[in-house]
Amino acid sequence: MIYTLRHRTTYRYARPVRFARCSLRLKPQDGEGQTVLASAVTIEPSPANAVTRRDYFGIEALGIRLDTPHAEFVVEANSRVAVDRPAPPEPEAGPTWNAVRDAVLASRDLSGAAPVHFLFPSARVPLVPEVTDYARASFRAGRSAYGAAHDLMRRIRADFRFDSSATAVDTPLAEAFRLRAGVCQDFAHVMIAGLRGMGLPAAYVSGYLRTTPPPGRPRLQGADASHAWVAVWCGSGWLGLDPTNDCAVGNDHIVVARGRDYGDVAPIDGIVTASGRQRLRVEVDVIPEDEAVPELALAI
Amino acid sequence: MTALAEVKEKAGGTVPLARWTEGYAPLPGRPDAYLAPDGTPRDSAGGAWSRLLDHLGRLGEPEMMARFVSAERHIRDAGISFRVYGDQREHAWPLSSLPLVIGAAEWRDLSAGLVQRAELMEAILADIYGPGDLVAGGYLPAAVVAGSPEFLRPLHGVAPPGGRYLKLYAADIGRGPDGRWRVLADRTQAPSGLGWALENRMVLARAFPDIFEACHVERFPAFFQAFRDGLAAGAERADPRICLLTSGPYSSTYVEQAALARYLGLMLVEGDDLVMQDGRLHVRTVSGLKRCDALWRRIDADYLDPLELNPASRLGVPGILEALRNGSLVMANMPGSGLCESGALEPYLDGIARRMLGEPLTLAGPPTWWCGDPDGLAHVRDNLDALTLRPAATPQRGAGRDALLGPQTLAADRDRAVAALRERPFDYVGQALGPLSTMPGWERTDAGLRLVPRPFVLRVFAARTPSGWQVMPGGFCRVAERDDVDPTEMRLGIRAADVWVLSETPVETQTPIQGRTPRVRRLAGHLPSRAADGLFWFGRYTERAEAVIRLVLAHLRSVGDAVVTDIAGGAHAPTAARIRRLIAEWGAGSAPNLPTAALAQQALSGRTAPGSARAHIESARRNAAKLRNRLSGEAWRVLADLVDLLSLDPGRAFTESQLSGRAERALSHLAALSGLAHENMSRAAGWHFIDLGRRIERAINTCDFALALADDEATPESLGVMLALCDSQLSYGSRYMQGVALDPVRDMVLLDPYNPRSVAFQAEAIARHLADLPPLAADGVPEPHCRLAARIVAEFRSGEAADFDAVGMARVESELERLADAIAGRYFPAGPQAARPEKLGGLG
Repeated sequence: MIYTLRHRTTYRYARPVRFARCSLRLKPQDGEGQTVLASAVTIEPSPANAVTRRDYFGIEALGIRLDTPHAEFVVEANSRVAVDRPAPPEPEAGPTWNAVRDAVLASRDLSGAAPVHFLFPSARVPLVPEVTDYARASFRAGRSAYGAAHDLMRRIRADFRFDSSATAVDTPLAEAFRLRAGVCQDFAHVMIAGLRGMGLPAAYVSGYLRTTPPPGRPRLQGADASHAWVAVWCGSGWLGLDPTNDCAVGNDHIVVARGRDYGDVAPIDGIVTASGRQRLRVEVDVIPEDEAVPELALAI
Repeated sequence: MTALAEVKEKAGGTVPLARWTEGYAPLPGRPDAYLAPDGTPRDSAGGAWSRLLDHLGRLGEPEMMARFVSAERHIRDAGISFRVYGDQREHAWPLSSLPLVIGAAEWRDLSAGLVQRAELMEAILADIYGPGDLVAGGYLPAAVVAGSPEFLRPLHGVAPPGGRYLKLYAADIGRGPDGRWRVLADRTQAPSGLGWALENRMVLARAFPDIFEACHVERFPAFFQAFRDGLAAGAERADPRICLLTSGPYSSTYVEQAALARYLGLMLVEGDDLVMQDGRLHVRTVSGLKRCDALWRRIDADYLDPLELNPASRLGVPGILEALRNGSLVMANMPGSGLCESGALEPYLDGIARRMLGEPLTLAGPPTWWCGDPDGLAHVRDNLDALTLRPAATPQRGAGRDALLGPQTLAADRDRAVAALRERPFDYVGQALGPLSTMPGWERTDAGLRLVPRPFVLRVFAARTPSGWQVMPGGFCRVAERDDVDPTEMRLGIRAADVWVLSETPVETQTPIQGRTPRVRRLAGHLPSRAADGLFWFGRYTERAEAVIRLVLAHLRSVGDAVVTDIAGGAHAPTAARIRRLIAEWGAGSAPNLPTAALAQQALSGRTAPGSARAHIESARRNAAKLRNRLSGEAWRVLADLVDLLSLDPGRAFTESQLSGRAERALSHLAALSGLAHENMSRAAGWHFIDLGRRIERAINTCDFALALADDEATPESLGVMLALCDSQLSYGSRYMQGVALDPVRDMVLLDPYNPRSVAFQAEAIARHLADLPPLAADGVPEPHCRLAARIVAEFRSGEAADFDAVGMARVESELERLADAIAGRYFPAGPQAARPEKLGGLG
């Protein structure tokens, strides 16, 4: 499947900002079942300086500096990505969770691709004893790592309520867990905390999800959203699980970046020198190429 | 009993040594610094303790105590203090009168072990952040590294500018069960304690100069010089600017940081003082941005860069890691060095030493098992009751700290520990921590003092200097006042002790001047904006306090001489009422119509009155506290006395004469304070800012006085008070024969450029200060704040008394307020009003 992606973020400031320094992580991942056919980022106002760097985990970030006063900051990322992933395995397949953990501990790999980095708490995913207790029910002795993770995903989907008003981007995961509510970011963080609490490496994945417009209605521009889910280390590779939708990751998911938690993969983060309020607006389009484009034009 | 005990004391009694040491015995199972287990003085200490106790014994107990009492007074007066973490109060530094002494031979071995361990830590860091051979080769498990929150991935592959990760290595040590020195914890992040060691030394060497000399105690200056050279090593410029990045005035070790900055001649800065520009680190100074070449950070690395590390940090500098990547900044220690504080490294150190240094580890830590290793886990499970279980990755602290399970814990803790080992055993280490070793400490008995063993922890330091590692001959020792207290962290019940390394031969007192002679300079360098801000407000607050006190004296009718005592009638008499109103308007009194003494007491020392003299002095002291490295000990002492003077018991009603007595004494203290600034401070930028603050405040206050007492409805009586408030009665009397009149008084207090209390005099002084301060640009165009000052000066030079009616005075006063704002905007742009770095909001 080939997708055309547009991700436009607009910051409006109450008072002009003199200076900003940001990292943009908007280019989809190349590899592991994805091929980036084209990718470009436009920035307004144009930055004084822009440097592309890969971090320890291989995530590509565009570091920019703005030093002209501006009241509005717009970043638009456009890309075309081909996605062709193998079908997810059967839920109970693969090595047991204890075996996976022991192998990670014995590993001599400390490279950015190594699962060992994803075994420990991170800034936004502390270990929360209540979450570990919740996860434990999925970890029967002798069960496969993937099976346990799959079961945990299913339970989170069943026990938690999707509610975008329940949490904000900086709500601690313990609070989202207590509420049993939140958005994709909260579901992913809770699931990661549960998996790590039981000793399995788990990662946070940012990206997009293909959505289907209601039958007979055109796709509305900018109505899609960025998405987040979980990757779990299953002994020989990462497998994606989406607790918001209770499904394994296949060709409907487009990966942008995989990190320890939201902080590692945030599409835009940075520091501005400001004294007023800021307003944020995000528009995302995920358009599968088999969909008729003229309909989109009609919808504008 | 030793032969020494028979020597007669000067006073005629026996030397108290026998009584001091009688019954002294090591605690069971705990090694002691003074006596070996068999009760004889330790050979390894080279008789060091006997030498010290012998000298103290000759001094005699009363003399020893007297000297120590005066040392404690010095500590209080000099404001040497510490803060317990999470506590706002400062506590006077508790120094033990007995140093820890170590003999020369033993010290040589210890130093060699310490240098080896420091070199090993350096090698480990260079490998982990570089090629990664230790993990790949199986010498160190990947999970030990990955599990440390101090493994800072953004620093991977960044070569440390200057080539070294560690510039300062410290270790907490004690004697192990076999009596040999053993490391309790490694300090590689941002070791504290050097400044305390220095303070301890200054106080104790001053109290016992003769014994210090006779014992051949090794001195510190050469070490500190070498440490400073090490901080500068690798900087791009030959004469680098070195800054000490403090964790701020509320940190538990701020006083120490300020002392070190002063001693080493470093610029003390907070994160707000620093800014990245063009890929380089700069300090905001009153002369604009100036490059910072080397930084000694005293904040944890995680807080260093909100852009690349902890985004919630408000202590750091956004983007500072860039300066490390491009090599333009040398940092001590490199961020990420805290990794070596991880307890889980210990089991692997010997193997790594053999592999990387080609020799076994000589100075070991406690026997440790990492539970991520199957054999380690099995050992810990089998020996749970004999071990301390603690987090593997969080930096180690003292014995027992953060431990899940220690040797003396409850069954519930044991269950918790067993559970913790089930799913994530790799988060823990088991350690065989013996009880802490002991050293002699004083205990008071009815018969006098005697020595008893007390647990201690010794922190020792090694500095990476251009000529290799150099160990500080001494250290920072903490002794518990009871034998069941853990002395690792400074808090109540713990005393600090100086550490004396005794040389076999007399020690050179004069440190030879080594290396190149520094370029002669007369200015201390650029003043950081934040320090200028603090000095400016220090000047304003002390001046405001003075004005309040003068006003109170006028209110009590005891300012100056005859003129004021003539004020007619009681509280409602016109002039008295004007003074009372002004006191209330200034926030010094809650209501203008209080009884005379009560109002005066409130204005002097009211706790709730925001404008009381005491409130202003405390504000001045708060500003001074942030400027510890710039104010002399004397100034600090005068401030402490002022606070004491102005702290009147609110439950007690003081009489008018008692109050005016206090007020007069406070005035002379304030005069002493300004005298200190005038006579002792170098005429560098710092002095200009104190005096600027004082002049601006005095000009504004005098306008306020004049608006209240020399307004268009002024009476001879109110004009008399006006003159008295401005200390101008004598001059007035000698110039004018026929009593007070409006225009001559206004001329004298507002316009007269020869009267040091007139507004015109202040304006001229302000303009001179501004002209002396460094300009931002060399284009010769006066900056806006200088033009504003020039305008005010011109107004006074060209005006006459008649121009300064109430409207004219109010206009000048508001111009002065604007000038104060303009000065703040120009020199303290990072002040509280400035735009702050904000995090960009995100989304899910």
